[in-house]
Amino acid sequence: MTLLHTTTSNTTAQVAASVRDAVKHYGHDDTQVTALDHVDIDFEAGAFTAIMGPSGSGKSTLMHAMAGLDRLTSGSIVVGDVDVTSASEHELTRLRRDHLGFVFQAFNLVPTLTAIENITLPMDLAGRSPDRSWIDHVVATVGLSHRLRHRPSELSGGQQQRVAVARALAGRPSVIFADEPTGNLDSTTGSEILDFMRHAVRELGQTIVMVTHDPLAASYTNRVVFLADGRITGQLDQPTPDTVLDQMRRLGN
Amino acid sequence: MFRLTWKNLMASKIRFALTTFGVVLAVSFVVSAFVLGDGLRRSFTDVSKDITAGIDFEVRNTADFVKPPPLPPDVVDIVAGVPAVRHAVASIEAADNAVRPITATGDEIPTSGPPQLAFNWIDDPALSAFTIVDGAPPQAGEFTIDLDSAEKYDFVIGHTYDVMVPSGRVQLTLSGTSSFGPQNATLGAVLMQMNTAQASELFGVDGIDSVAVALHDGSDPAEAQAAIAAAVTASVPTAEVVDRETVAADFASQFTTQIDLVGAILLAFGVVALVVSVFLIHNTFAIVVGQRSRELALLRTVGADPRQIRRSVLGEALAVGIIASATGIVGGIGVAKGIDALFGVMGFDLVDWPLILAPRTIVAAVVLGIGVTLTAAIGPARRAATVSPMVLLSGTTSSSGRHVSRRRALTGAAFIATGAALAAGGAAVNGAFPVGVGAILLFAGVTMLSPMAVGPVTRVLGWPLGRVATVTGRMAQRNAARNPRRSASTSAALMIGLAVVAIAMIAAESVKASIGSTLADSAKAEYYLSDELDEVAFPAEVVGETLGLAGVDAATGFTPLEVRIDDTVTEVIGFDFDQIDALLDVDVRAGAFDSDVSSPVVVSAGEAARRGLVVGDTVTITSPAGITMATTVAGTFGDQSVLTEDYLVDTRVLQALGAPVAPEWLAISVADDARPVDVQHLLDTLESRFPYAALETAAQFEERVAGEIDDALTMVNMMVALAVAIALIGIANTLALSVFERTHELGLVRAVGMSRRQVRRMVRYEAGLLGSFGATVGVGLGIGIGIAAVHTFPSDVATQVAVPWDRLGLLIVIATTAAVVSAWFAARRAGRLDVLDAIAH
Ligand SMILES: Nc1ncnc2c1ncn2[C@@H]1O[C@H](COP(=O)(O)OP(=O)(O)OP(=O)(O)O)[C@@H](O)[C@H]1O
Ligand SMILES: [Mg+2]
Repeated sequence: MTLLHTTTSNTTAQVAASVRDAVKHYGHDDTQVTALDHVDIDFEAGAFTAIMGPSGSGKSTLMHAMAGLDRLTSGSIVVGDVDVTSASEHELTRLRRDHLGFVFQAFNLVPTLTAIENITLPMDLAGRSPDRSWIDHVVATVGLSHRLRHRPSELSGGQQQRVAVARALAGRPSVIFADEPTGNLDSTTGSEILDFMRHAVRELGQTIVMVTHDPLAASYTNRVVFLADGRITGQLDQPTPDTVLDQMRRLGN
Repeated sequence: MFRLTWKNLMASKIRFALTTFGVVLAVSFVVSAFVLGDGLRRSFTDVSKDITAGIDFEVRNTADFVKPPPLPPDVVDIVAGVPAVRHAVASIEAADNAVRPITATGDEIPTSGPPQLAFNWIDDPALSAFTIVDGAPPQAGEFTIDLDSAEKYDFVIGHTYDVMVPSGRVQLTLSGTSSFGPQNATLGAVLMQMNTAQASELFGVDGIDSVAVALHDGSDPAEAQAAIAAAVTASVPTAEVVDRETVAADFASQFTTQIDLVGAILLAFGVVALVVSVFLIHNTFAIVVGQRSRELALLRTVGADPRQIRRSVLGEALAVGIIASATGIVGGIGVAKGIDALFGVMGFDLVDWPLILAPRTIVAAVVLGIGVTLTAAIGPARRAATVSPMVLLSGTTSSSGRHVSRRRALTGAAFIATGAALAAGGAAVNGAFPVGVGAILLFAGVTMLSPMAVGPVTRVLGWPLGRVATVTGRMAQRNAARNPRRSASTSAALMIGLAVVAIAMIAAESVKASIGSTLADSAKAEYYLSDELDEVAFPAEVVGETLGLAGVDAATGFTPLEVRIDDTVTEVIGFDFDQIDALLDVDVRAGAFDSDVSSPVVVSAGEAARRGLVVGDTVTITSPAGITMATTVAGTFGDQSVLTEDYLVDTRVLQALGAPVAPEWLAISVADDARPVDVQHLLDTLESRFPYAALETAAQFEERVAGEIDDALTMVNMMVALAVAIALIGIANTLALSVFERTHELGLVRAVGMSRRQVRRMVRYEAGLLGSFGATVGVGLGIGIGIAAVHTFPSDVATQVAVPWDRLGLLIVIATTAAVVSAWFAARRAGRLDVLDAIAH
């Protein structure tokens, strides 16, 4: 438990998202579930952070709350300079559109739009013209240049996830949230996506928060945050598959 | 399996209600037609029996064609002379609206509503249909009126009123009020009575209509009938004697034709609703089956038989059909009551009618409701049964409904090609039949092929959308094109509805334009005097009087007469040949309006060509009075826009045929150098003599006819409004289902930053695209068929095609807007989706 609150001392790094005393209950009375139990955590800008923990530990809940998709029972969350917990529906939409990126486990793309249209969707929705050279750069990095005019149904699962990551990156958001982005992929394709995300953080200066169950996937990140029963139970800097496994064992999962 | 069916039904009550709505409407209209018709027919049969109860026989004239001529008045005495006869009285009835009372305020009772009828008063309660309620029977200089009309129009006993009669205006005093049968079952008509002497003087009937006969008690009816017949036919060979049942039946049938007309209109509404509903039901089932394909595949993998699945879907349809039929029967009674009330508001007060729910009504409702629903569900049921268990694994929900099969495409193309060829060919040769068949083929072909057109057409229509609303517009267009068959059948109902309006609009516009242009070509007279009432004629002497006025150059009256030429019954128009050249230019092709020829007739160029008639040939004409004469063709004419009949005769020929000169309208030409004061005097004279007739210039006449055409379109427009309303429900339904189907996707786009407003807009745009697709294709199709149809119109109806582009464009805009509005609910739901729930969907 000594690892808690390390970020408070680290004043040099910019904070992309900070969670303060976050509590989330589902249901009432007898059936009440506590998904988040007084969570306090900061996510550094320009870092690749993994969130790990057993099933039902509240990982998705935390991500959804940070992205303004779900409301906390109490506590506060600030992403960039927006207080997510007090923002209006309209402000949250703009936050998601302009300052956040999203990658889900599967079915990330709009089937009627081509790959490139999916990538530029948030900008198009905002009525902003995309930064062409940046988009070209992202697309080239993801290795999709030849498939841009294809519809999602004509792409493989891995290619679809790459398009999803490219979309998340396209608007240069403050934070990208990825909920088990490689959960549905084989290990080779998965590692390609992870490579790419690491590249985006290192070379392109992006901030990514990723939920994963896979120690190998976690080893691509700068830091792992462990969650159990809605509480932060530990952190690990510069993880390797072995140290992650080790920590998981120590925390009892 | 049945429990599954029921669960599915209950799971989405709104969809269920929407699906059923069209069928309920259709069944309601059909049921109301039967219920109202049966009830009214029963009532009028009873009224007819009541009224004729005291009559034993009726003597009347017959004719082998058209309306029989009146009987000579002395027939009454002949009948009365037969020993078995207790009492014989003459009945005289004026033509509809020929006799009209003017209210105390000087207003005429509108003639657009129920008719105004006048009868002679029969002073024998057994033989009269009327009884006096207040006051006394009419003596000389008096009249009576039915009590409801008296109350409605404020006629007070003892007061004197102006009464319009064919010869002009008379003043009569109201002596009492009467009742027609015990209920005064007038249907809103105004019924007047005058004593017999005055009736024969004022009604403009040259004799009497019939003789009502009552026998002495105990006399033998058969013998009496033979005796009366023998006595009458000695003097009038064409007369006949009919019994009470025949009189009652004939009397009732005067009403039943009108009842049947109302019934036919209601049935037409039912059919329209039915046709459109088929698309709606088919579409709903197809979408629902598509959405349930995973569930169906699961059933298949756990061992469900395709037949069981098919039965489950058909079972759902059956349930929808049964409920729709039952609701429709109740609704139909409601519609019938509503129409009763509506008639009352319009001034046609219906009699009380019994509620008769005949077995045939129930059978029709059930057969229609269930039959239509099942038919529409057959395709989707078959598709459901063939869902492969693989659908479960592949993760795609529905692969059906994306493509048009080759065979369907070829059949559709063949239909369109044949239909277009038939329509064009039919238009070229004036054949209405080929154009009709062509139109049906075109509809079928376009319906088959429209899935192929959805993509390209919505891309074009969506282009401006893409300009103003880049992403949402683009996504709406893709969504509309994503399931072409669904989109096509959703907009098909709208397409058919708007095609029909477009055809009606083009036809009406063409007729109006033709009247305008031909009238401008042929009308030379300055003034036209007409009574808007068909059966009412002007007195013969008006023409002579008008000609005698200062400043009048030429004038004649136009009298129609039904005659038999060879073996066909046709109408001729009689007028003064000497006057016509100054009044109308009817494009004389050969000969002239030559009154020096003995018994001249001028024949239309078309008829002359058909029958091979040339100037100098003989045409034999037989009149209703039984006179046959040989007339000589004096010329042929080409322009039938004003004088629409094929045969024109001189007034003298009319008289020689034994027909009264009774012009329906007059044309009056003023001399070029006429003094304004003379013209004013002419107008004032006619105006004061016929205050309720129309004295118009050619332009005013044209305007009035155009207005009448627009009125005639009202019924068509109402039917189309019904079709369009159901079509819009279809669009609303499809979009609601599509939104449900795309829940995950909507959650996703919301997660990456689409605002609620943008989501709502996207759904509305899609609705707009579906609407404008249906509207554009429908109006396009309607323009093609409409133009072909106008070509088949006879030359006296339309000589040119006019397409009201602006109003057709407006129609598309309105339909599109209505479609957008109809998607309000679906859009709101899409906008309200919870992002997380939606993504988890
Ligand atoms: N909408 C909801 N209603 C009720 N309970 C919920 C809801 N969403 C999550 N929960 C509960 O909250 C807790 C945390 O769920 P969450 O989805 O955050 O877990 P997770 O860590 O993402 O699990 P996994 O690894 O399985 O995705 C669980 O106990 C879950 O049952
Ligand atoms: Mg999760």
